[in-house]
Amino acid sequence: MASKRLIVFAVTLLVGNLFISACAPAPAPPPAATQPPAATSAPTTTAPTTAAASASPTAGPTSTIAAGKRVFRATFSPPLRADPAVGNDYVASSTLPNLYDSLVFPNAKGSVDPWLATSWDISSDGLTYTFHLRTGVKFHDGTTLKASDVVYSYNRLKTIGQGYAYLVTPGVQSVMAPDDNTVVFKIEKPSALFLPSLIRLYVVEEALVRKNATSSGAYGANGDYATGWLQTHDAGSGPYMITEFPLAEYVLMSKNVNWWGKFNPNAPDEVRFIVTTEAVTVRSLLQNNQLEMTDQWQSLEAYQAFAKIPGVKVLALPTVSSFYYMLNNAKAPTDDVHCRKAIDYAYDYNAALGLEWPGTKQMIAPVPATLAGVDPNLPYYKHDMTKAKQELAQCRYANQLDKYPITVDWVSEVPDEEKYALLFQSNMADIGFKVNIVKTPWLSLVDNMSKLDSSPSISTIYVSADLPEAGLMLRQRYHSSTTGTWQQNEWLRDPKLDASIDDALSTLDQQQRFAKYSAIEKDLEDRAASLWIYDQLEKHGIRDCVDLPAAKGQTSVLIGYYFFMPDVGVTCK
Amino acid sequence: MSMLNFLVRRIIYSFFVLLGLSIVIFIIARIMPGDPARMAVGARAPQWVVDQIREQMHLNDPLPVQYGYWLADAVHGDFGLSLVTQRPVTADIREFFPASLELVLVAGLLSALGGIGLGTLSARYKDTWVDNVVRLFSYAGVVTPSFVFAIFFVLIFAWELKWFPVIGRLSEQTPAPPVVTGLITVDSLLAGQFGTFLDALKHLVLPALALAMGAIAQEARITRATMADNLSKDYIAAERALGISEREVTGRFLLKPSLIPTVSILGLDIASTFSIAFLVELIFNWPGLARYGMQSMLNKDLNSISAVILVLGAVFVVVNIIVDIIVAQLDPRIRLSAARSE
Repeated sequence: MASKRLIVFAVTLLVGNLFISACAPAPAPPPAATQPPAATSAPTTTAPTTAAASASPTAGPTSTIAAGKRVFRATFSPPLRADPAVGNDYVASSTLPNLYDSLVFPNAKGSVDPWLATSWDISSDGLTYTFHLRTGVKFHDGTTLKASDVVYSYNRLKTIGQGYAYLVTPGVQSVMAPDDNTVVFKIEKPSALFLPSLIRLYVVEEALVRKNATSSGAYGANGDYATGWLQTHDAGSGPYMITEFPLAEYVLMSKNVNWWGKFNPNAPDEVRFIVTTEAVTVRSLLQNNQLEMTDQWQSLEAYQAFAKIPGVKVLALPTVSSFYYMLNNAKAPTDDVHCRKAIDYAYDYNAALGLEWPGTKQMIAPVPATLAGVDPNLPYYKHDMTKAKQELAQCRYANQLDKYPITVDWVSEVPDEEKYALLFQSNMADIGFKVNIVKTPWLSLVDNMSKLDSSPSISTIYVSADLPEAGLMLRQRYHSSTTGTWQQNEWLRDPKLDASIDDALSTLDQQQRFAKYSAIEKDLEDRAASLWIYDQLEKHGIRDCVDLPAAKGQTSVLIGYYFFMPDVGVTCK
Repeated sequence: MSMLNFLVRRIIYSFFVLLGLSIVIFIIARIMPGDPARMAVGARAPQWVVDQIREQMHLNDPLPVQYGYWLADAVHGDFGLSLVTQRPVTADIREFFPASLELVLVAGLLSALGGIGLGTLSARYKDTWVDNVVRLFSYAGVVTPSFVFAIFFVLIFAWELKWFPVIGRLSEQTPAPPVVTGLITVDSLLAGQFGTFLDALKHLVLPALALAMGAIAQEARITRATMADNLSKDYIAAERALGISEREVTGRFLLKPSLIPTVSILGLDIASTFSIAFLVELIFNWPGLARYGMQSMLNKDLNSISAVILVLGAVFVVVNIIVDIIVAQLDPRIRLSAARSE
C-alpha cells in the first residue's frame, strides 16, 4: 500500500513539474541580428549565414531558426503552392520569384529588366525572340543552369497547363535551345504581351525534376512531372531556397548565398511565410514581435488595431487590381448608353472611397492606374446629378424604369461589397432607377455570367491584371473572347473594339502601342461600358524595422513582387 | 470468449457503418455546387486542363461508376490525389492525423481529469458554494464554443501574459525530433529530447484546453448528477452504516458506478473533438486533420473530403468500441448480459 502511494506521489510530482515547466514564461527571443551588414551578395561573396546550401528541406513539423539571423515572417492565406507550373495565386506569386529565376524581371516602371537573359534579339517580323542567358548561374544543388532547362520548364508548364500557363504559353509556336546559353522562342504573331509574360516562366532544374517525378502519373512518360515533390521542395536557382515546408503551417526559405544577383545588405537570412489569416492570431504574433508583416486580408478594424501596436504601421500599397461594377451592355436598361452614363454620373464616388482605407483613389481609366500605358489625362466620370438626369432623359427606358429594374449581384464571400451595393441602390434611387440587390455565391455568379440570359444587369467584381501593362487588362476585360467568363459581364462583343485591342497588342513600338491603348480607353469611357469605382490598395501591418522597397515605389506592382526578399531590409531587434 | 464475440460483431457492424458513410459522403461531396476541377486549377486555367482533370477523376462518369472506381482504390488504401496539395491523400492524412491525434488525446485527458474531478468535487460538496461554482462553470463551458475559449486563451495567456506560444507545435528555435509516431511529445521522449518535449507540451496546453473546456463542463455535470443520484441509494447508506470512511465510500463505491454515463459521453466527446477542432486548429495554426478537412471542403477537394470523413468515421467507431469495453468493465451487468446472450 505504501509503495502504491509512493508511485502515485512520484507520478503526481512528475506531472506537476511538467505542467509548471510548460506554464513558465516563454524563453527570451534569440539575440538580435548584430552581425555587420553583409556586402551585396554576388557569386564570389559570402553572406553571413550558416544555412546549408542544400535544396533538400526536411518535412518535419517545425523549424529551427538559429539565433542571430535576420528573419522575415509574414502571414498569407492558404493554400501554399510552390510548384511553378501549378501556383498562381497571391501566396504562390510571392513565393515563386524568391525560389526561381525567370528570363526577365518586372521593374517599377511597368516594363521588364534583363534577368537570367542578359539580352535578347527580336527578329524584324517580331516573331522570333532569341535570349542570351547569363553564364555561370547555379541551381540550388550546384548544377549549372542551361538553356535546355528553360525549354524543359516551358514544356512542363505547357503540358500541365495550370499556374501561369494561360499567360505564358498561348501564341508560342516553339521553344528551342540551340546551345547551352541561347533560347529561341518563335511566336505565331507579333505580341507586346509575349516578353512581359516571360516574367512568369520560372526555370526549374530538369535533372532534379526528372529524378523526383513518379513513374506513373497524368503526364505519360513524364509520370507526375514531379508535381507532388515540387509541392514541398524547390528545383530553382533563385535567391532563396526551401528548407522546411510543412504544408499546413509555413514555408521556410533560407538565403541562397551563391545566387548571382544582389542582396540588400540587410536582406533576411531566413524567410517564413506562415499560413494563417486569423485576426487574433496575426495580431498576437505582431504584438509579440513574432511577425514582421501581415497579410492583406484583414478587416479595416484589424488594420486600425495593428496601427496602435508600438513599432507597427500600416502600409497601403498600390495594386494592379480594381473594383468594377460590370454593366451589362446587352440587357435592358443598361444596354442604352445614356442609361449607363446616367449611372456613372449618379454614383457617389467620394462616399464609396469613404468606405475604404484612407488614400484609396477613384479609377481614372477602365484599367488600374498603376499599369503602364494608362492615359492619366483622359476625362473620367464624377458624381454630377445634373448630368445624370440629363443623360437619363435621353435613355429610351427613361419613362418606364419601373419595368426595368437593375439587378446587382454582389459576391457573398466578400461581405464588404454589400456596403457598395447599398450605396449604389441609394444613389440610383435618386434618379429613379429601381435596384434589386442580390447576394450571390461566387460560383453561382460565375455560372450566371456564363450565359447572357442569366447574367445580371451588374456584377460587382475585383479584377487584377496579370501583366504590368494596360493591354492585357483591356483584353481580359473588354475583348469578345472573355464574354461568358467572370472577367466580363459587359457582353461587348464588338468586332471593331476587338480589332483595336488586337492591333494595339501586336504593336511592338511602345509609344505607338500606348497611344492605341489611350484611344481604346477613351472609347470605353465614351460608351460608359462599366462603372469604374476604385483602384484597390493592398494593406499590410508591418514593423518599422522592415525596409520594404514597395513602400517607396521601387518595386513592380505585379502580384507577388512586393515580397521579393533580396530587396527587403530587416533590422528588427 | 463473450467479449471476443462482442468485439468481432462490433467490428463487422462497423465495416457496414463505414461503407454506408462512404456512400453518403461520396454523394454529398459530388452534389455540392462548383466544379472541383475548375476550383483546383483556378478561374483562368484553360478549359482543356479542367476537362483533363475531370477525365482523370472519372467525374464525367455516372455516380455509381465513380463510386466503384473510388471504392476499388480505397480498399487498397489509395484515396487518390488531393487537388489542393497535389499529393496522395494518404500522405496528407499521414502528415495531419498525428497532429490532431496528439491534440485530441491531450484534450481528452484534460476532459477526463477535469470533468470527473470537478463533478466529484461538486457532488461531494453538493449544495455548497463549491457545488455552485462548479455548476456555474459547467453551464458556461457547455454553451461556449471552443473557438471562443481559444480566442480568450490567446489574448490572455499568449498575448497579454506571454506564457504560451501563439502558433504551431514547436517554437522556431526548438529542434524537431525524428518522426516515429508523428506525436511530437512521444517522439521527443523516444529521442531523449526532453527540452523539445516540454516545448511541445507548452504548445499543446492552450489549444487542448480550449478544445477540452466544453467536454470538461459536460463531464462535470454528468458526473455530478449521477453521483448525486447514487448518493441516495441504499447501498451507499449501508456502506456508511458499516463505518466505511466517507473518502472510501466516495472513491471506491460511489465513483466507479457513477462513471458509466460519463465515460460513454466522454468517448463521444473525444471522437467529436476530431471533427470540431478546425477553428481551434485555425487559430493556433495547428496542422491537424480537421483544418485539412475544412480546407478540402472549401476547395471541393473530393478525394480528400471522402478520406477525411472516412477517417473521422473510423475514429468514432474505434472510440465507441473502446468505450463499450470500458463500460463493460465498469458495469458487471453488461458483462453478464453479454455472457447470457451467448
